[in-house]
Amino acid sequence: MTDTKAPELQLQAVAQSTYECLRCAFCYDLSWLGSTNLCPSYTWGSFESYGGRGRVALARALLEGELEYDESLIPRIFACTECRACAEHCFKYIDTVKVYDRMRQDMAVRGLIPPELKIAVDQLVASHNLYGKPHEKRLSWLKDRSRVDQPAPVAFFVGCTPSYVRRSLAEDFYSVLDSSDLDFTVLSDEWCCGHPFLAAGQTERAAEVMSHNVEALQDLGVEQLIFECPGCMRTFREDIPAVLGEPLPFEVLHITEAIAEFVEEGRLQFSIYQPGTVVTYHDPCTLGRGLGIYDAPRAIIAAMPGMRLQEMPRHGRDAYCCGAGSFVRYDYASLTDQTGVERFWEAAATGAQLLLTSCPACVTQFQNVRAALDSPLQVMDLISLVKQVARWK
Amino acid sequence: MERLQEICGPEHVTNVYADRICYRRDCGPTPGGIPDIVVRPQSTAEITQIFRLANEVRKPVFLWGRATTFVDHGVQEGCILLALDLMNRILKIDLENQVVTTEAGAIWHAVDSELNKLGWEIAVPGGGGMFSCTIGGTVAYNAVPHGITEYGVTGRHVVALEAVLPDGTVVRTGSAANRDAPLPIERGANGPDLAGLFIGACGTLGAITEVTLRINRIPETERFLFYAFDTVDQCVDAAAAVQRQNGATFLIGLFGGPPPANVSGKAFLHMIIRDGQTRAAERVRTCQSVCESYFGRPQDPEGTKRYWLGHMYSWLRNTPPNAYYGSRPYYCPEVAGFLPTLALKQAIPALHEYVRTNAEFARAGMRVKGMDVYFSPNAAFLWVDTLYPEMSPEAKQVGLRVRAEIAELLFGRWMSPGGIVSGIAPYIMPRLGSAYDLMKTLKRALDPNNILNPGVLLLGKDQE
Repeated sequence: MTDTKAPELQLQAVAQSTYECLRCAFCYDLSWLGSTNLCPSYTWGSFESYGGRGRVALARALLEGELEYDESLIPRIFACTECRACAEHCFKYIDTVKVYDRMRQDMAVRGLIPPELKIAVDQLVASHNLYGKPHEKRLSWLKDRSRVDQPAPVAFFVGCTPSYVRRSLAEDFYSVLDSSDLDFTVLSDEWCCGHPFLAAGQTERAAEVMSHNVEALQDLGVEQLIFECPGCMRTFREDIPAVLGEPLPFEVLHITEAIAEFVEEGRLQFSIYQPGTVVTYHDPCTLGRGLGIYDAPRAIIAAMPGMRLQEMPRHGRDAYCCGAGSFVRYDYASLTDQTGVERFWEAAATGAQLLLTSCPACVTQFQNVRAALDSPLQVMDLISLVKQVARWK
Repeated sequence: MERLQEICGPEHVTNVYADRICYRRDCGPTPGGIPDIVVRPQSTAEITQIFRLANEVRKPVFLWGRATTFVDHGVQEGCILLALDLMNRILKIDLENQVVTTEAGAIWHAVDSELNKLGWEIAVPGGGGMFSCTIGGTVAYNAVPHGITEYGVTGRHVVALEAVLPDGTVVRTGSAANRDAPLPIERGANGPDLAGLFIGACGTLGAITEVTLRINRIPETERFLFYAFDTVDQCVDAAAAVQRQNGATFLIGLFGGPPPANVSGKAFLHMIIRDGQTRAAERVRTCQSVCESYFGRPQDPEGTKRYWLGHMYSWLRNTPPNAYYGSRPYYCPEVAGFLPTLALKQAIPALHEYVRTNAEFARAGMRVKGMDVYFSPNAAFLWVDTLYPEMSPEAKQVGLRVRAEIAELLFGRWMSPGGIVSGIAPYIMPRLGSAYDLMKTLKRALDPNNILNPGVLLLGKDQE
């Protein structure tokens, strides 16, 4: 049995939030849209302890000494994709994910971390990437090294997934930026952004990698950092200032925002991908609810001739998670699989030929689901489509 | 535990403390007891077996729909908690007979959204207001719905029910009771109104498992009006006149709490009119004439419209939800009920006087959130919503005393509550005399072992 007496509760910092919860259950489903799920974790875990209102009740019970952290809480707190749907729909505007994060921190110091996630973040310390691959291979996808570590006003933060498992995505991103005439650089010594450490409740480890990345980018005189991965971007925009206690010394921008701006300025136009293509767009949770970026991807799609966007019933702030968030696959693969299948079928039901999204984790997840289901619905990251049809002026 | 797992499957039964602790409290101020076991049946047959088991082992069973009432449901320590969320299917949308049949755990708004896609709606909109209540819970509580001014209370639109009695017997009501023609089309068929036995009984006499509700075509148009008045009396007189002339589908009065932003006055009326174009225009003119004859001043009804479309109460006060609901760790010891419309002229000043002269109220940091009225076709449903700071145990005690005192003040002179559960029952049931005696007789007859929602409505309390 783990010692549950020791350290002070991090949860105290968000105590008020737990008293604000009215228990309205807006965090469980999207009844306004019909009989539709909102929370993947509640859908999977079945009992209220896996959903927003239940977790906040657990937090309050912990604060009031009615409950102590133990192993039973591990799945109830960590089997959560942190998709922010509960926070987005909270009647009382509670940032529920902050409550979950504090609980994760409390659990981490008590040794209560899901086993596979623990292994992953432990190896991350040495390899600086979530996949345990050699750090020196991080840029092996990049043939032309001329921009690497060169001082520039803009930097491309590649992220672990494009660097190691979706290298074509990294290439596409690089290629689009290269065609745009931006003066940008890429770090050879880029480390993981630190998000996995935060997901595991390990703030100190996260601080170390955050400091490394920020200093390395500052050394190159970077003023603006562009991301493909919304998780990395949110870590920079929201978590680094909170963890390091100082504002970020550069601007951050998602690649879809940059491309939408090129389109708006008339610098970028598109040729026809395939005449009459119907696409649907999956809002990545972190890009949408986490960063508030809903319009830029749609503006890009709207600018593509001969293409029609057919929205899924759950889109924008109501979008359902793909199931891959917050590294739940390591320990709760069935949660990831069940959620991904539900979302994929929703996409397929639109009649679209192409499922677009803007997140390496979502693309990976949907491609896995597609392969398992043997579906004709194609899956593509928006940046890869842009690369195919871009006509620069 | 093992036998419940056999009935419902192991994945639908838990005795893990972290799970159980989440099933004891509704939106009311007082956490109930922690159940011993939480079970999520998937069918009426499973509920039947659970009730039989509960009788055998003499273990109380509490029903859990969505737990969004504001007045303390009263879950008891050590019970079996029956969560009905898996019984959430829409069984049949029957446009021909203008009814919809669902399982009890279906979410009201989810059912309504499915009907909306076909151009129809449940005959009474938003039985649980903005909250995502279940159909079964809303009917069991006989909730006061939006649109009550024209449509009446939720129970009025129930056509048929399926319920499991505490001994496990399954009954169907109205025309659905005929085994050879189980068609849920008329509540008044086949003898006494057995559906009425379960509507408003809050699960004390049986567990509602299926509900058939009337449905309507969505009206052609919706119109909105908002008026401010300088006195409570003028506002009440205007409301009564609107009721007499069937002016509004939904008439809402604000008589306390924060006034609407950027509007002066002492009392306010919001009006929502739903009808065909021509008739709606006539009703708008009626409401306007009435309000103006009582010196009402017309205001921008944008807040009224937003309230109706998004069901966010804050808009009744011209305030966006984030400003109204965000960062407020308060709970509401609500008292609500029906009283004659004109009695508001005495009740509202009496409530303001109570708040003004109650030294504890301010000392505990309490506030008045609203003294709001949903006008029924012929009466007023007044919500007295006070708030206490949830982080202070002392304030909570004051809040509970305030609830008792306001209940005493209102129930003793004017008011009879609508939905009643444990938080309100002690203040009203002893006043009901032989009606309460009859309820207790029914409870004993149907639930001799007192296993189903014991103590809710105080029913079964004498058997404990």
